[in-house]
Amino acid sequence: MDATDTLLLAALEEGLPFVAEPFAAVGKRLGIPQGEVIARVRRLKEAGIIRKFRARIDQRKVGIVANALVAWKPGDYGNGETGARLAAFPSVTHCYEREPIPGRWEYTHYTVHHGYSRDAVEREVETIARAIGCPDYTILFSTREFKRVPNVRMGENGGGS
Amino acid sequence: MNPDRSTDPADLALLEALQDDIPLVPRPWQDIAERLGVTEDEVIGRLHALSGAGIIRGISPVIESRPLGLHAATLVALRVTEDRIDEVAGIISAYPEVSHNFRRDGEYAIWFTITAKDRAAVDGILARILAAAGVAPADALDLPTVRRVKIDVRFRFVPQPGSGA
Repeated sequence: MDATDTLLLAALEEGLPFVAEPFAAVGKRLGIPQGEVIARVRRLKEAGIIRKFRARIDQRKVGIVANALVAWKPGDYGNGETGARLAAFPSVTHCYEREPIPGRWEYTHYTVHHGYSRDAVEREVETIARAIGCPDYTILFSTREFKRVPNVRMGENGGGS
Repeated sequence: MNPDRSTDPADLALLEALQDDIPLVPRPWQDIAERLGVTEDEVIGRLHALSGAGIIRGISPVIESRPLGLHAATLVALRVTEDRIDEVAGIISAYPEVSHNFRRDGEYAIWFTITAKDRAAVDGILARILAAAGVAPADALDLPTVRRVKIDVRFRFVPQPGSGA
Protein backbone atom coordinates (compact mmCIF):
# COMPACT_ATOMS: atom_id res chain seq x y z
CA MET A 1 0.00 0.00 0.00
CA ASP A 2 1.44 3.37 -0.99
CA ALA A 3 0.40 6.94 -0.18
CA THR A 4 -1.89 7.07 -3.23
CA ASP A 5 -3.71 3.93 -2.05
CA THR A 6 -4.26 5.58 1.33
CA LEU A 7 -5.71 8.69 -0.31
CA LEU A 8 -7.83 6.57 -2.63
CA LEU A 9 -9.25 4.48 0.23
CA ALA A 10 -10.06 7.63 2.17
CA ALA A 11 -11.89 9.05 -0.86
CA LEU A 12 -13.76 5.81 -1.58
CA GLU A 13 -14.79 5.52 2.04
CA GLU A 14 -17.01 8.58 1.52
CA GLY A 15 -18.99 6.50 -0.94
CA LEU A 16 -19.05 6.13 -4.72
CA PRO A 17 -20.88 9.04 -6.35
CA PHE A 18 -24.09 8.17 -8.18
CA VAL A 19 -22.90 9.22 -11.62
CA ALA A 20 -22.41 7.10 -14.73
CA GLU A 21 -18.62 6.84 -14.22
CA PRO A 22 -18.10 6.94 -10.44
CA PHE A 23 -14.46 5.77 -10.48
CA ALA A 24 -13.60 8.52 -12.95
CA ALA A 25 -15.26 11.08 -10.67
CA VAL A 26 -13.28 9.88 -7.64
CA GLY A 27 -10.08 9.86 -9.69
CA LYS A 28 -10.68 13.39 -10.90
CA ARG A 29 -10.72 14.66 -7.31
CA LEU A 30 -7.39 12.95 -6.65
CA GLY A 31 -5.78 13.61 -10.02
CA ILE A 32 -5.69 9.90 -10.92
CA PRO A 33 -7.03 8.56 -14.23
CA GLN A 34 -10.05 6.23 -14.09
CA GLY A 35 -8.05 3.22 -15.31
CA GLU A 36 -5.58 3.61 -12.48
CA VAL A 37 -8.34 4.00 -9.87
CA ILE A 38 -9.91 0.73 -11.00
CA ALA A 39 -6.54 -1.05 -11.22
CA ARG A 40 -5.61 0.09 -7.70
CA VAL A 41 -8.95 -1.03 -6.24
CA ARG A 42 -8.52 -4.43 -7.90
CA ARG A 43 -5.02 -4.72 -6.46
CA LEU A 44 -6.23 -3.76 -2.98
CA LYS A 45 -8.90 -6.45 -3.23
CA GLU A 46 -6.43 -9.07 -4.39
CA ALA A 47 -4.12 -8.11 -1.53
CA GLY A 48 -6.98 -8.61 0.94
CA ILE A 49 -6.93 -4.99 2.10
CA ILE A 50 -10.40 -4.43 0.67
CA ARG A 51 -12.57 -7.31 1.83
CA LYS A 52 -15.65 -6.28 -0.08
CA PHE A 53 -16.99 -3.31 -2.03
CA ARG A 54 -20.68 -3.04 -1.26
CA ALA A 55 -23.58 -0.88 -0.15
CA ARG A 56 -23.97 -0.11 3.53
CA ILE A 57 -27.68 -0.49 4.16
CA ASP A 58 -29.74 0.71 7.09
CA GLN A 59 -31.80 -2.43 7.32
CA ARG A 60 -34.14 -0.95 9.94
CA LYS A 61 -35.48 1.45 7.33
CA VAL A 62 -36.68 -1.46 5.20
CA GLY A 63 -38.37 -3.22 8.10
CA ILE A 64 -35.57 -5.46 9.39
CA VAL A 65 -35.91 -4.06 12.89
CA ALA A 66 -34.87 -6.99 15.07
CA ASN A 67 -31.16 -7.36 15.81
CA ALA A 68 -29.78 -9.94 18.20
CA LEU A 69 -26.38 -10.82 19.51
CA VAL A 70 -26.46 -14.44 20.63
CA ALA A 71 -23.86 -15.79 23.05
CA TRP A 72 -23.29 -19.56 22.94
CA LYS A 73 -21.73 -21.91 25.46
CA PRO A 74 -21.00 -25.13 23.59
CA GLY A 75 -18.75 -26.43 26.41
CA ASP A 76 -17.24 -29.80 25.60
CA TYR A 77 -19.93 -30.58 23.06
CA GLY A 78 -18.49 -28.33 20.41
CA ASN A 79 -15.39 -30.37 19.53
CA GLY A 80 -13.90 -27.15 18.22
CA GLU A 81 -16.38 -27.18 15.36
CA THR A 82 -19.00 -24.88 16.86
CA GLY A 83 -17.75 -21.72 15.13
CA ALA A 84 -17.76 -23.30 11.68
CA ARG A 85 -21.15 -24.91 12.26
CA LEU A 86 -22.71 -21.61 13.40
CA ALA A 87 -21.11 -19.70 10.53
CA ALA A 88 -22.57 -22.14 8.00
CA PHE A 89 -26.09 -20.79 8.58
CA PRO A 90 -26.77 -18.11 5.94
CA SER A 91 -28.76 -16.01 8.41
CA VAL A 92 -25.70 -15.58 10.65
CA THR A 93 -24.07 -12.30 9.59
CA HIS A 94 -21.24 -12.33 12.15
CA CYS A 95 -19.62 -15.18 14.05
CA TYR A 96 -16.79 -14.71 16.55
CA GLU A 97 -14.98 -16.76 19.15
CA ARG A 98 -14.16 -14.79 22.29
CA GLU A 99 -12.40 -15.41 25.56
CA PRO A 100 -14.79 -16.42 28.35
CA ILE A 101 -14.57 -15.06 31.90
CA PRO A 102 -14.55 -18.13 34.16
CA GLY A 103 -17.25 -17.99 36.83
CA ARG A 104 -18.79 -14.79 35.45
CA TRP A 105 -19.50 -15.17 31.76
CA GLU A 106 -18.63 -18.49 30.19
CA TYR A 107 -19.93 -18.01 26.67
CA THR A 108 -17.30 -18.57 23.99
CA HIS A 109 -19.12 -18.08 20.65
CA TYR A 110 -21.12 -15.12 19.41
CA THR A 111 -23.40 -14.72 16.41
CA VAL A 112 -25.40 -11.80 15.07
CA HIS A 113 -28.88 -12.22 13.59
CA HIS A 114 -31.28 -9.84 11.86
CA GLY A 115 -34.98 -10.25 11.17
CA TYR A 116 -38.31 -8.59 10.57
CA SER A 117 -39.44 -9.44 14.12
CA ARG A 118 -38.08 -10.74 17.40
CA ASP A 119 -40.23 -13.84 16.99
CA ALA A 120 -38.64 -14.62 13.65
CA VAL A 121 -35.14 -14.22 15.09
CA GLU A 122 -35.98 -16.35 18.14
CA ARG A 123 -37.33 -19.13 15.93
CA GLU A 124 -34.22 -19.02 13.73
CA VAL A 125 -31.89 -19.15 16.74
CA GLU A 126 -33.85 -22.09 18.20
CA THR A 127 -33.55 -23.94 14.91
CA ILE A 128 -29.80 -23.36 14.86
CA ALA A 129 -29.44 -24.41 18.52
CA ARG A 130 -31.21 -27.69 17.81
CA ALA A 131 -29.24 -28.31 14.63
CA ILE A 132 -25.87 -27.87 16.31
CA GLY A 133 -26.96 -29.46 19.61
CA CYS A 134 -26.17 -26.46 21.81
CA PRO A 135 -29.04 -25.63 24.18
CA ASP A 136 -26.98 -23.24 26.27
CA TYR A 137 -27.26 -19.77 24.74
CA THR A 138 -28.60 -16.33 25.50
CA ILE A 139 -30.27 -13.93 23.05
CA LEU A 140 -29.45 -10.25 23.53
CA PHE A 141 -31.75 -8.12 21.41
CA SER A 142 -30.64 -4.58 20.72
CA THR A 143 -33.04 -1.85 21.77
CA ARG A 144 -30.96 1.15 20.69
CA GLU A 145 -28.11 1.84 18.31
CA PHE A 146 -25.75 4.47 19.75
CA LYS A 147 -23.01 4.01 17.14
CA ARG A 148 -22.50 1.80 14.11
CA VAL A 149 -19.63 2.64 11.75
CA PRO A 150 -17.03 0.51 9.92
CA ASN A 151 -14.30 -0.59 12.33
CA VAL A 152 -11.63 0.79 9.98
CA ARG A 153 -12.06 4.42 8.91
CA MET A 154 -9.07 5.85 7.10
CA GLY A 155 -9.66 9.38 8.33
CA GLU A 156 -10.11 8.43 11.97
CA ASN A 157 -8.22 5.30 12.93
CA GLY A 158 -6.79 3.61 9.85
CA GLY A 159 -4.77 6.03 7.80
CA GLY A 160 -1.20 6.05 8.97
CA SER A 161 -2.11 5.77 12.63
CA MET B 1 -34.61 13.92 0.69
CA ASN B 2 -37.57 11.77 1.58
CA PRO B 3 -37.11 9.94 4.86
CA ASP B 4 -40.43 8.13 4.51
CA ARG B 5 -39.81 6.74 1.07
CA SER B 6 -41.48 3.37 0.59
CA THR B 7 -39.44 0.70 -1.08
CA ASP B 8 -40.89 -1.19 -4.01
CA PRO B 9 -39.82 -4.61 -5.31
CA ALA B 10 -37.41 -2.99 -7.79
CA ASP B 11 -35.71 -1.13 -4.91
CA LEU B 12 -35.37 -4.37 -2.98
CA ALA B 13 -33.88 -6.13 -6.02
CA LEU B 14 -31.36 -3.30 -6.37
CA LEU B 15 -30.51 -3.40 -2.65
CA GLU B 16 -29.93 -7.15 -2.91
CA ALA B 17 -27.64 -6.65 -5.91
CA LEU B 18 -25.69 -3.93 -4.10
CA GLN B 19 -24.78 -6.38 -1.34
CA ASP B 20 -22.59 -8.24 -3.83
CA ASP B 21 -19.31 -6.69 -4.84
CA ILE B 22 -19.70 -3.62 -7.02
CA PRO B 23 -18.28 -4.44 -10.48
CA LEU B 24 -14.87 -2.80 -10.87
CA VAL B 25 -15.54 -1.42 -14.34
CA PRO B 26 -15.91 2.15 -15.67
CA ARG B 27 -19.72 1.98 -15.59
CA PRO B 28 -20.70 -0.24 -12.64
CA TRP B 29 -24.32 1.01 -12.48
CA GLN B 30 -24.77 0.06 -16.14
CA ASP B 31 -23.46 -3.41 -15.32
CA ILE B 32 -25.90 -3.79 -12.41
CA ALA B 33 -28.75 -2.37 -14.53
CA GLU B 34 -28.16 -5.05 -17.16
CA ARG B 35 -28.26 -7.74 -14.52
CA LEU B 36 -31.58 -6.40 -13.22
CA GLY B 37 -33.03 -5.74 -16.67
CA VAL B 38 -33.46 -2.00 -16.20
CA THR B 39 -31.69 1.09 -17.52
CA GLU B 40 -28.59 2.71 -16.06
CA ASP B 41 -30.58 5.92 -15.53
CA GLU B 42 -33.15 4.05 -13.50
CA VAL B 43 -30.45 2.53 -11.27
CA ILE B 44 -28.83 5.94 -10.74
CA GLY B 45 -32.23 7.49 -9.96
CA ARG B 46 -32.99 4.79 -7.40
CA LEU B 47 -29.52 5.15 -5.84
CA HIS B 48 -30.21 8.86 -5.26
CA ALA B 49 -33.64 8.16 -3.79
CA LEU B 50 -32.51 5.29 -1.53
CA SER B 51 -29.57 7.32 -0.34
CA GLY B 52 -31.77 10.38 0.27
CA ALA B 53 -34.07 8.22 2.38
CA GLY B 54 -31.11 7.01 4.42
CA ILE B 55 -31.66 3.40 3.32
CA ILE B 56 -28.30 3.30 1.51
CA ARG B 57 -25.69 4.76 3.86
CA GLY B 58 -22.98 4.67 1.20
CA ILE B 59 -21.36 2.35 -1.33
CA SER B 60 -17.82 1.89 -0.16
CA PRO B 61 -15.03 -0.64 0.37
CA VAL B 62 -14.88 -2.68 3.56
CA ILE B 63 -11.30 -2.22 4.69
CA GLU B 64 -9.59 -5.04 6.60
CA SER B 65 -8.19 -4.05 9.98
CA ARG B 66 -5.00 -6.14 10.08
CA PRO B 67 -3.27 -4.76 6.98
CA LEU B 68 -3.77 -1.32 8.53
CA GLY B 69 -2.06 -2.34 11.72
CA LEU B 70 -5.14 -2.94 13.84
CA HIS B 71 -4.50 -6.37 15.34
CA ALA B 72 -6.63 -6.57 18.46
CA ALA B 73 -10.31 -6.18 19.26
CA THR B 74 -12.72 -6.82 22.05
CA LEU B 75 -16.41 -6.76 22.86
CA VAL B 76 -17.29 -5.09 26.14
CA ALA B 77 -20.53 -5.25 28.12
CA LEU B 78 -21.31 -2.85 30.95
CA ARG B 79 -23.75 -3.13 33.83
CA VAL B 80 -25.09 0.42 34.15
CA THR B 81 -28.14 1.76 35.96
CA GLU B 82 -30.99 2.96 33.75
CA ASP B 83 -30.48 6.64 34.59
CA ARG B 84 -26.82 6.57 33.46
CA ILE B 85 -27.21 4.74 30.15
CA ASP B 86 -27.34 7.78 27.84
CA GLU B 87 -24.45 9.53 29.54
CA VAL B 88 -22.21 6.43 29.56
CA ALA B 89 -23.12 5.53 25.97
CA GLY B 90 -22.17 9.05 24.87
CA ILE B 91 -18.77 8.80 26.55
CA ILE B 92 -18.10 5.46 24.85
CA SER B 93 -19.23 6.54 21.35
CA ALA B 94 -16.84 9.50 21.38
CA TYR B 95 -13.84 7.15 21.11
CA PRO B 96 -12.78 6.60 17.47
CA GLU B 97 -11.62 3.08 18.41
CA VAL B 98 -15.25 2.22 19.19
CA SER B 99 -17.16 1.24 16.04
CA HIS B 100 -20.29 -0.41 17.44
CA ASN B 101 -22.20 0.62 20.54
CA PHE B 102 -25.64 -0.76 21.31
CA ARG B 103 -28.10 -0.98 24.12
CA ARG B 104 -29.25 -4.55 24.63
CA ASP B 105 -31.74 -6.42 26.79
CA GLY B 106 -30.47 -8.10 29.91
CA GLU B 107 -28.27 -7.50 32.91
CA TYR B 108 -25.61 -5.73 30.85
CA ALA B 109 -27.23 -2.78 29.11
CA ILE B 110 -24.39 -1.42 26.97
CA TRP B 111 -22.39 -3.50 24.47
CA PHE B 112 -19.57 -1.97 22.42
CA THR B 113 -16.50 -2.97 20.43
CA ILE B 114 -12.95 -1.61 20.56
CA THR B 115 -10.40 -2.14 17.74
CA ALA B 116 -6.77 -1.02 18.16
CA LYS B 117 -3.22 -1.92 17.24
CA ASP B 118 -2.61 -4.51 19.93
CA ARG B 119 -3.97 -5.95 23.14
CA ALA B 120 -2.20 -3.39 25.32
CA ALA B 121 -3.74 -0.53 23.34
CA VAL B 122 -7.22 -2.09 23.63
CA ASP B 123 -6.71 -2.56 27.40
CA GLY B 124 -5.61 1.06 27.73
CA ILE B 125 -8.65 2.41 25.89
CA LEU B 126 -10.98 0.24 27.94
CA ALA B 127 -9.38 1.43 31.18
CA ARG B 128 -9.81 5.05 30.08
CA ILE B 129 -13.45 4.48 29.13
CA LEU B 130 -14.24 2.82 32.46
CA ALA B 131 -12.55 5.63 34.37
CA ALA B 132 -14.29 8.35 32.35
CA ALA B 133 -17.67 6.64 32.73
CA GLY B 134 -17.18 5.83 36.40
CA VAL B 135 -17.87 2.13 35.85
CA ALA B 136 -16.08 -0.42 38.05
CA PRO B 137 -14.22 -3.26 36.30
CA ALA B 138 -16.48 -5.66 38.24
CA ASP B 139 -19.41 -4.23 36.26
CA ALA B 140 -17.70 -4.81 32.91
CA LEU B 141 -17.26 -7.91 30.77
CA ASP B 142 -14.17 -7.71 28.55
CA LEU B 143 -14.50 -10.39 25.85
CA PRO B 144 -11.45 -10.25 23.56
CA THR B 145 -11.76 -11.62 20.04
CA VAL B 146 -10.01 -14.98 19.71
CA ARG B 147 -11.08 -15.65 16.15
CA ARG B 148 -13.29 -14.01 13.57
CA VAL B 149 -15.11 -16.92 12.00
CA LYS B 150 -17.43 -15.03 9.67
CA ILE B 151 -18.56 -11.59 8.60
CA ASP B 152 -21.03 -11.60 5.77
CA VAL B 153 -23.68 -8.98 6.23
CA ARG B 154 -26.29 -9.81 3.68
CA PHE B 155 -29.97 -9.15 4.11
CA ARG B 156 -32.67 -11.00 2.29
CA PHE B 157 -35.42 -8.51 1.74
CA VAL B 158 -39.05 -9.48 1.74
CA PRO B 159 -41.58 -6.90 0.58
CA GLN B 160 -43.55 -5.80 3.67
CA PRO B 161 -47.22 -5.17 2.99
CA GLY B 162 -48.15 -1.59 3.73
CA SER B 163 -44.80 -0.76 5.22
CA GLY B 164 -42.32 1.59 3.71
CA ALA B 165 -40.39 2.21 6.85
